[in-house]
Amino acid sequence: MQQLNAWFTDLLAGNEIFTANTLGYYAEGLATTVQLVFLSLIIGLVMAVPLAIGRGSKRPWIKWPIFFYTYVFRGTPLLIQLYIIYYGVVFVEGIQDTWLWLILEEPFYPALIAFTLNTAAYTTEIFRGAIKATGKGEIEAARAYGMSRAKMMRRIILPSAFRRALPAYGNEVIFMLHASAIASVVTIMDLTGAARFVYARFYAPFDAFLFVAAIYLCLTFSILYLFRYLEKRLLAHLKPQS
Amino acid sequence: MIDLQGYGPRLLEGALITIELAVLSLLLSVVLGLLTATAKMSRNWLAHRIATLYTTLIRGVPDLVLMMLLFFGGQIGINMVTDWLYYQFDMDIFINIDEFIAGVVTIGLIFGAYMGETFRGAFMAVEGGQIEAARAYGMSESLMFRRVRFPQMMRHALPGLSNNWMVLLKTTALVSVIGLTDMVRVAEEAAKATHEPFTFLIPVAVIYLLIASLSEWFFAHLQKRYDVGFGGEECNN
Amino acid sequence: MAATPLPLEVINLKKRFGDNEVLKGLSLKAHKGDVISMIGASGSGKSTFLRCMNLLEQPNEGDLIVHGESINFKQTRRGREPADWRQVERIRAKLSMVFQGFNLWAHMTLLENVVEAPIHVLGKPKKEALEHGRALLDRVGLLDRADYYPTQMSGGQQQRGAIARALAMEPEVMLFDEPTSALDPELVGDVLKVMRDLAEEGRTMIVVTHEMSFARDVSNQVIYLHQGLIEEAGAPAEVLENPQSERLKQFLAPKF
Repeated sequence: MQQLNAWFTDLLAGNEIFTANTLGYYAEGLATTVQLVFLSLIIGLVMAVPLAIGRGSKRPWIKWPIFFYTYVFRGTPLLIQLYIIYYGVVFVEGIQDTWLWLILEEPFYPALIAFTLNTAAYTTEIFRGAIKATGKGEIEAARAYGMSRAKMMRRIILPSAFRRALPAYGNEVIFMLHASAIASVVTIMDLTGAARFVYARFYAPFDAFLFVAAIYLCLTFSILYLFRYLEKRLLAHLKPQS
Repeated sequence: MIDLQGYGPRLLEGALITIELAVLSLLLSVVLGLLTATAKMSRNWLAHRIATLYTTLIRGVPDLVLMMLLFFGGQIGINMVTDWLYYQFDMDIFINIDEFIAGVVTIGLIFGAYMGETFRGAFMAVEGGQIEAARAYGMSESLMFRRVRFPQMMRHALPGLSNNWMVLLKTTALVSVIGLTDMVRVAEEAAKATHEPFTFLIPVAVIYLLIASLSEWFFAHLQKRYDVGFGGEECNN
Repeated sequence: MAATPLPLEVINLKKRFGDNEVLKGLSLKAHKGDVISMIGASGSGKSTFLRCMNLLEQPNEGDLIVHGESINFKQTRRGREPADWRQVERIRAKLSMVFQGFNLWAHMTLLENVVEAPIHVLGKPKKEALEHGRALLDRVGLLDRADYYPTQMSGGQQQRGAIARALAMEPEVMLFDEPTSALDPELVGDVLKVMRDLAEEGRTMIVVTHEMSFARDVSNQVIYLHQGLIEEAGAPAEVLENPQSERLKQFLAPKF
């Protein structure tokens, strides 16, 4: 351990940018990015399931509002959505006097709301497509064997749709990780925020941004491999045996 | 009507910058994408490696980080080159990176990687028999590319192309962060100055939606044109 | 005689698609152990008739009585619909269907396919269902394929698996919708053999088929449908060996 420590100190001694201090910023930034992305993905996923089912409903007053929601959130830049929620919250009259302010004062929460609403919209459409792609014959068999609508959704349609949605959802996870970089715009110290801080302090764009790019690259590949593994396990049934 | 408090003309200018930026970077990305696709399909080992490295790196790093790296780093890089030229050859050049050009180059570079994947898939989807027939009729490589491969490839590439364009359009909003006054930047400044965020940000969101909807309609039409001769697939069963 | 109700009775069933009347009043009685073959040209309505029996299609007129229980209908703006979908689900569980395209659930293994409805529709205990399911797979010769996914099996294996899935419901009546039409010729035999065995052990079966040898050798009743009407019906010896109508004669004539 001590050896490792000495090696590390040695390594850092060679430059003036990557001190223990600045590395600490990156570490905190990494934690913030992971929290922000993970939380918004989880909440967005939970929201997307009922929304995707509702999106396929025959009732117009269920179907159209959901369509409108996904259309707006997928059709406009996330940055605009973030600004609208961030500034919208900040400038609402009297909000500073309520208990809500305790939460919303931190820019983390407006960003979390924006990211969640955004990923929920994309995920809804991904699931919607996967649900629609369920084989007609499989649905017919479920009906013929006496399954109710709810049971069919739970036992047949959703389990097979989730598996089919996996590759597209993997892309959405990576997209969200990359999109989360804009959190730094509203003063959140995420990974990109840390890089911007180091850049501004030392005026060393290559060191600051290449380092953070390498971290993002590692995260991206970890997600990629995780999803490849999941696909291999869960999509085995779609590959004919040769 | 909404009271834009004098920001109207600037918002309009910003919107024009957004559109110019998007269209120019689209053109650049298509060119880069075609090059990348060709390199990836070529038997040249080095070209293949370089193209793969390019697409992997670009797709693994957030747009905003790349943008900052190229924009902030690019200026320093150029300064280093001009300094070197000055000391070595006594050449006194000063190049200042223009935000607009930096934006076009960065977004074009990013989406060139995505376009590369789209085009590669589309080229591979063109049947070998079509190429063989063109060869058999004595077409040169370039004639074959123009008359057979490209038009057939476009049919397969259009859905991906349209998708990339939609994402690219939204990505242009990021240039406001590096200081380019597109419509997002104007709206943000106005929102901060007037404390009325919705008055400015919502119209900008609506403009994005309008452009996206128009593009959707346009691409649907284009797809119809390129589907000529293939439409029968659904009817002749 | 009337002590045990008929497994299935259909009375004067009519079905329209828009203005096109495809079933023009069909009746049918299936006694226990009956094997009824429905034959006819494509477009004669035989598949639609079968699909109306378990209400995959909604008949516009007529009654369905399954094991003495009559299905209730009500008139809505969209036309006639079952009054109680719970009842329909209960009745469907008594009439297992085997489809032309197998329709096994792609995300489940073969054994999972077989035990799915017994556990989640009939509410059977899991252990019992699994035991029964394995026994049925053994019967159709697929025990070694229990953990395979449908796409990993041949069409003939999938269809035999689908028959095991139907048997697992312990149905009153088994409905077969052209079970061998989607199969390569060399795979048809295995599936027909399984169906023959089922007929011999006294299962009540209604089979839409193009296999005349099956209709002749296995069934005890043949129905010939033409343009939504029953043109001829009776024992296979009468109907197939001694056809009365010109159309049936033409239909049965060897084709070149």
